[in-house]
Order: sequence, then C-alpha cells, then structure tokens
Amino acid sequence: MKISIILAFITLLIGIYGLIISKNIIKSIICFNISQGAIVLLFLTFSKEYPSSIPIISENSSNMVDPLPQALMLTTIVIGAAITALALMLSIKIFHYYGTLDWKEFIERNG
Amino acid sequence: MKYIPIYLIFIPIIASMIIYLLNNKYVNYLVFLSQGVITYFSIKYFSLNNHFLENNILNLGGWERAIGISLKNDRLSMAFIFLSIFIWWVILLYSWNNRKGDFKFLFFLLFLEGAFLGLLQTNDLFNLFIFIEITTIISTILIIYKKDGYSVKSGLYYLLFNSTGMIFYLLGLILVYTVTGTLNMDIAKERIELLNNTLIIKLAFVFIMASIGVKSAFFPVYNWLPKAHGAAPASISALLSGLLIKSGIYAYIRLDYIFNINDLNNLFFILGMLTAISGIIFALSQKDIKQILAFHTISQIGIILMGLSSYEAKANIGGLLHVFNHALFKSLLFLGSGIIINHYNTRKITEIRGVFKRLPVVSVIMIIGMFSITGAPFFNGFVSKTIIKYGIKHNSFHSILFFIINLGTCISFIKFSQIFFGDFKKTDFKKIHSRSSMIILGISCLLMGILYTPIINVFYDIDLSFVNIFSLSALFNYLISLVIGFFIFKFIIDKDFYPMKKIRHLNISFETTNFMLISFIIIMTIVSLR
Repeated sequence: MKISIILAFITLLIGIYGLIISKNIIKSIICFNISQGAIVLLFLTFSKEYPSSIPIISENSSNMVDPLPQALMLTTIVIGAAITALALMLSIKIFHYYGTLDWKEFIERNG
Repeated sequence: MKYIPIYLIFIPIIASMIIYLLNNKYVNYLVFLSQGVITYFSIKYFSLNNHFLENNILNLGGWERAIGISLKNDRLSMAFIFLSIFIWWVILLYSWNNRKGDFKFLFFLLFLEGAFLGLLQTNDLFNLFIFIEITTIISTILIIYKKDGYSVKSGLYYLLFNSTGMIFYLLGLILVYTVTGTLNMDIAKERIELLNNTLIIKLAFVFIMASIGVKSAFFPVYNWLPKAHGAAPASISALLSGLLIKSGIYAYIRLDYIFNINDLNNLFFILGMLTAISGIIFALSQKDIKQILAFHTISQIGIILMGLSSYEAKANIGGLLHVFNHALFKSLLFLGSGIIINHYNTRKITEIRGVFKRLPVVSVIMIIGMFSITGAPFFNGFVSKTIIKYGIKHNSFHSILFFIINLGTCISFIKFSQIFFGDFKKTDFKKIHSRSSMIILGISCLLMGILYTPIINVFYDIDLSFVNIFSLSALFNYLISLVIGFFIFKFIIDKDFYPMKKIRHLNISFETTNFMLISFIIIMTIVSLR
C-alpha cells in the first residue's frame, strides 16, 4: 500500500512539473490529464488496505474496500474527459486561427 | 414544499433541455416561465422557514447524514440565491431581443443557472467540486460564443487554468476524507474541530484555498480573468463578473468556516491588498473599455477579500455586503459598455466620444454605476466600503492603503468618464436595444444605497448606525479623492508614460501562470506551518 501511494505521488509531481514547463497546448492538456489520473490513483490507494474484497455485500464481505472513493473518482474521470474534449476542440480552433499551438506565440498576438 | 431546494436546481436544467430539444421560437418563452417559478419558490421557501433562524438541511436518497448527499440552506445561501435569480432576470431581459431565437444560448444560460443554484446549496465537499467544474465548463462555452480567435484563446486559457486549480481541490479533499472519513460539511467541521489543527488539516486547507484562489482571482493567479471577461459577449461578461466570480468567494466563506484556521488570515489580508492595488494599476494602463472593467473586478475582489479575512466582525459583514453591491454595479457597467460598444462599433476608450449626447439614458445609468463603484454617498458602494473602513480603522496603515485603493478607483473612472464628453463625427451608428434591464439595475443600486438598513437587517442583525449617508465629512472625503484623482489623471495617467505602455502589453503565458500557482501554494504552506 505504501509503495503505491509513493508512485501515485511521483506521478502527480511529474504532471505538475509538466504543467510548469510545457510550452505547447497539447502537452499542457496531457500533463493536466496525468495529474488528474495521479489524483485518482492517490485517492483509491489511500482508502484501500490489502487484501480486501470488492464492495458487494455477500457472505464473506468482512473487509471490503470503502466504496465511496471509487464512486467519487468515477465522477472525476468523467469530468476530466469532458474538460479534455472541450480543450482539444478549442486547440483545433486555435490552430485554425493562429497556425500555431505554442502558448507564447498566440498569447502575445493581438486579436 | 420540503423539496424546494431540488426544484431550484432542476427546474432551470429541465427547462433548458426542453428548449434545446424542441428548438422552436415559441418554446423559448419557457425561459420566463422557469424564472417565474423559481422566483416564486425561493420567496415561498424563505417565508416558510421563519427567515432561517435555524439551518435547513435536506438529506437526499434516504441515506444517513455521513454518507448521503445533502442540501443545506441558511441565510447566506438564501441571500446568494435571491441575488443570482435577480441577476439572471436582468441578463435575460438584456439579451432577449438579440437572442430570442438562439436556443443554444438560452440552453447554456439556463443550465448554468441550475448548476450555480446547486453550488450555492450543496452541503457536500465533493458536490461543491462537481458544481464548480460544471460552471467552469459551461462558462467556457459561453465565453467562446462569438467564435473569433481572441475569445477562443481566452476560453482555452480560462478552462485549462481553472481545471488545473481544481486538481489541488481534489488533493485537499483526499486529505480531509482520509482524516475525517466524511465529505459532509457539517460533520467534517465537527471532526476537524476535534483534531485541533494537525499538519494534515493545515495542508488540506492550503490546497483547497489555492484552488479557491484560482477560482475567485486572488493576487498571483488572476491572469485568466481579464482575458475571459474581456472576450465574452457583454451579457456574459456581466454574468461572469457580477456573479460567477462570486462562486469562489462563496466557497471561500463556507470553507473558511469549516476549517476555522486563522493562521492564514493575515496572509489573505495582504493578498487582498495586493489584488486590489495590482488590479487598479493594470486597469489604469488599459485602453480597452471592457478590459478596464475586467481589471476593476479584480480590484473589487481584493477589497472583498480584505473585508472577509479581517479579524473584525464588522469588516466581515462589509465584505459580504460588497459582494452583493459589486454584483449590482459591475453587471450594470458591463451591460452599459456592451450597448456603447455595439453602438460605436469600437472598444477603444480613445475613440469613443460624446456618449452623453447620443445615449442620454444609458449614460445617466452608467454614471450611477460609476458613483457606486467609487463609493459616493447615496450609492450602494459607499455603504459597504464604509463598513469595511470602520472595521479596519484601528490600524492606520490599513486605512491609508484603503484610501489609496479608493483613490485609484476614482482615477480610473475619471479616465473612463471621458467617453461621455466631446463630439463624435461618425454616422453609421447601430440601433440600440433593451435598456430596461439597466434601468432596473441602476434603481437597485440607488435603493441599496439609501435603504440599506432594512435590507441588511433581513439577513443580519447588526447595528449600522455608524454608516451615515448624510455625513458631510464622508462627502468631503469623496470630493477630495475626486479632485486629487483628477489631477493625477491629468498630469500622470493621461500622458501615457513608458511604464504604462509596458504594463499594457504584458502578457503572461500559461506555464508562467502555473508556476505562480505553485509558488502561491508554497507561500501559503510556509506561512501556515510557521
């Protein structure tokens, strides 16, 4: 359990580092997705102790995992997908208008 | 009648879906039906519950309190609900002539209303996240509604930066859930109190406040705001600047109450000052009238933050009242600037002249809005600014800074007021549309400025006898700042020196903004762990 938390945290740091340095829209969107995925992993591993069973009530459901984080993270994944789709659509539009996907180049252009 | 909180969320959403699916210009009048129904329901709900002396909690789905979803209404959320329904009425009246047949616009507008009313009523930390994300996504679509290059650029910046901020909200949420084992706000508050300010709770508070800071445009992380609010259509700018920016402030009030950590209050007070002052400096350098108004939103957010993070209870109430007053006068100014831009077909403050002769009604109402934002007596900005001033008066340094901020606002609106004078030679003017919504907003600004005592006492029991709108010293103070402001404008700002040009063309790229967000979090962590 401990190692998975550390791995998820490293993934989060990689995502945030990417958000700080990447100068391209597509890379920014990818890094956003990486950090959101890391958050999902982090939440799931925080609330889980091995060995445990799936959260369905049956005869030997003594140590099942907490179902609430799983439900929440499913919602987070859906929201992340919506944001990614919208952001990718907008980046296509930006490429049509400005002919570049570099943040610096089109932010500085007026109009 | 018990389920009115659910009706308030779902009536606008269902009405919007019917409008989108049927796509018929007569069906579009459903907008007004849904608005009327929720107005009736909210007033009925308020009168039924004996003016909310006790909080009203509604548990959904038959689950117990700790794991189920619940909606909670108290006086704060009711006041916000009335404000948002009022602003939506105004926006609908304003945009009805142009957008009568635009079913997509009406769909997004009404859906946004449902999501926003949900955000105000939720009593669950995760649902707060969901509603904030829904409002972010829908307002992105409304920002890019004109579909030109500038608005698409600003929309993408807004969307990606706000969702990056919300990642840290989730990180804080994980820590809260691990420590307390619940997401219900009331129970989380009880359990956090027992834990007595441990390290994890402080870290969770820092992460959550970072995301709220992004959402409500605090000092280092407000770059998305002027872009987004400047690029949107006028009605949407009014909605974003007047109301949707307050979703962050609302979450700030709620979460500050839950965590009850006072270590960061001084930092937030300083951040509020920096927000206000830097917003004014940027506003003074701009030449685009919508950009000026957008930067003034930042500076007013700073004043609100100063009021809310102060230790004085009076300043807190002043900050809260300024949220409402700002919603009224800033939407008024944005709607007026929309009419002017549409009429003159330009956004440059140097080209627009002679508005007073061409559009007398619009100008009079715009001037009411400008008196309100600069804090003249008899207008609503005066009341809330006086309460904040009264709350921080024991610290002379803070009082002087507050005077400087107010002076900056005066200078900026003296600069803005040059559009009213002079003469304009061009002839191809466009016809102007609905002014009724602006008249409603102007009258409500005046009403809030004169009848403030009964209106505030509906929601809060405080003694407001120290606010005197007839006091000569306040009037004298205001006139002095106008005169000083006029001279500073004439001899410094109007000359457009080199630093001003430099600030005007300052563009901050996305990765730099993310870097600022990370440093914002690091500073807050250091201050709270000290």
